[in-house]
Amino acid sequence: MTDTRTLPADLSAGEFGAPGKSLWHRLEPTILGSAGIVILLLLWEVLPRIITMNAGTKLFFTTPSQIVGTLWRLFSTGAIWEPLGVSASGFVLGLGLAILVGLPLGVLIGRSRTLNAMLDPFVTAFNATPRLVFLPLVMLWFGLGLWTKVVIVFIGALFPILINTYEGVRNADRTLINVVRSFGASEWDVARLVVVPNAMPYIIAGLRLAIGRAVLGVVVAEFFGSESGLGVMMVQAAGRYQVDVVFSGLIVFAVLSLALTWMVQLLENRLGRWRPQRAGGE
Amino acid sequence: MPDEAAPPQSFADKHRKVLLGLLAVMIFLAAWQAAFLVFAFNPLFISKPDLIGRALVTLLQSGDLLRDLAVSAVPFVYGFSAAVVVGVPLGIVMGWRERVSYALDPIMTVFYASPLVALAPLVIVFFGVGVSGKAIIIFVLAVFPFIFNAQAGVRAVDPLLINVVRSMGGSEWDLYRKVIAPGVLPYIVAGARIAVGRGLIGILVGEFFAASEGIGYAIARFGDLFALDKMFACIFAIMVIAVVLTEGIRWAERSAFPWRIGQ
Repeated sequence: MTDTRTLPADLSAGEFGAPGKSLWHRLEPTILGSAGIVILLLLWEVLPRIITMNAGTKLFFTTPSQIVGTLWRLFSTGAIWEPLGVSASGFVLGLGLAILVGLPLGVLIGRSRTLNAMLDPFVTAFNATPRLVFLPLVMLWFGLGLWTKVVIVFIGALFPILINTYEGVRNADRTLINVVRSFGASEWDVARLVVVPNAMPYIIAGLRLAIGRAVLGVVVAEFFGSESGLGVMMVQAAGRYQVDVVFSGLIVFAVLSLALTWMVQLLENRLGRWRPQRAGGE
Repeated sequence: MPDEAAPPQSFADKHRKVLLGLLAVMIFLAAWQAAFLVFAFNPLFISKPDLIGRALVTLLQSGDLLRDLAVSAVPFVYGFSAAVVVGVPLGIVMGWRERVSYALDPIMTVFYASPLVALAPLVIVFFGVGVSGKAIIIFVLAVFPFIFNAQAGVRAVDPLLINVVRSMGGSEWDLYRKVIAPGVLPYIVAGARIAVGRGLIGILVGEFFAASEGIGYAIARFGDLFALDKMFACIFAIMVIAVVLTEGIRWAERSAFPWRIGQ
């Protein structure tokens, strides 16, 4: 896919083999990583207290302690559950639809050259275009509410899944396909036994990208075309200079998106267990 | 079904793909146009290809479209350039110095995972609806692909090559010129391709929120006015720009770094 970014977990392989690493060596990434975050938070907390800002500028600043307090308040009063539920339903429906459509379509265009050639212009065009551009149109068609959100999430999440499935299917081992076919397998069997299992790592990588895009889709759709949800809460808070609420929303979104990505990672490890270690690629 | 015999990709084969693509686009447009022979046409709800084409010509002739695009291009150029200037060196340092990357990786991952677009309302309220607010949104969205890709690029540099250059008496400068730059550049260009898409999102978010001109504003306004033919024309213009930018970079990648084609 387009994302050449590798996950930190894979990177340790790049180090030169140092047998018998010391404790410090093994803990170093964790310690330095936590230190980085702690320093950033401390700076953020302390700077506004040291530097005197005029009242106007001060309106736009908040501190981590304030954000934590706001988060606590939002969760303890339960004020966050309703908007969160609204956002989550849009997210789940949109992502679910994207998987339902993207997977079979990806397998189809991966297996058929003609279909691939015919759909390629559309896939290229829609994948390159920021889906936000369709938002005013989608709002016109679906109104302010759940379905606008679902459609925007769907358009965003569809293409990573579709394109990755396609790539994975294209990479299926021809020999395996031929063997299965010689034993009298139908196209359906070929897809089920060879193509889809083989494409799984690609599909999951696509799913990971799709989750990021879907979260983004929920946020922008709610900013412009919704009446309730976490994004709406944030826009309204921004208008009232409640910066701590804006950041609280941002953190909730970030945590959710990290948690989901992590779950997909677990799924990937579980599903890839039978696979022989792949040679390190990009 | 696919090429069992794997025939050498002949000229006709490539042609076939383009022709089929064109055919599909034409069928799509014709079906769209013809659908309204059957269904009632409601111009407040949907448009037709011929009306969109006419609107596009009108917008081009009056210069409105080009003016809006020019207005939007300014913050895009600023934000995108800033993203390159900040992101590439930061990514290279993170790739080169292990400790720096240990310290910064978690922060960057959190930033990258959080939908930073969500800060757009704040940025707009703080910096106003002018160029600076939009440029900052674009910068924030576009900088991460550069950081992560530059980092991955440095990491992917073969240590063996570095050792060879050093053993042969190459200077530090030779190292950068002969090994690191050719290794990292393709990654940066690939990052630019992702960043373009995110930058376009930045423009649209900025202009949907509050603007008095620009292509995002034009789309939102035509939507409010129910001028769907003009709205579709603007959407089409954005699609063309997005495809040209992304595919242009892809083409540049292929021609400038031919050794990467296999990857």
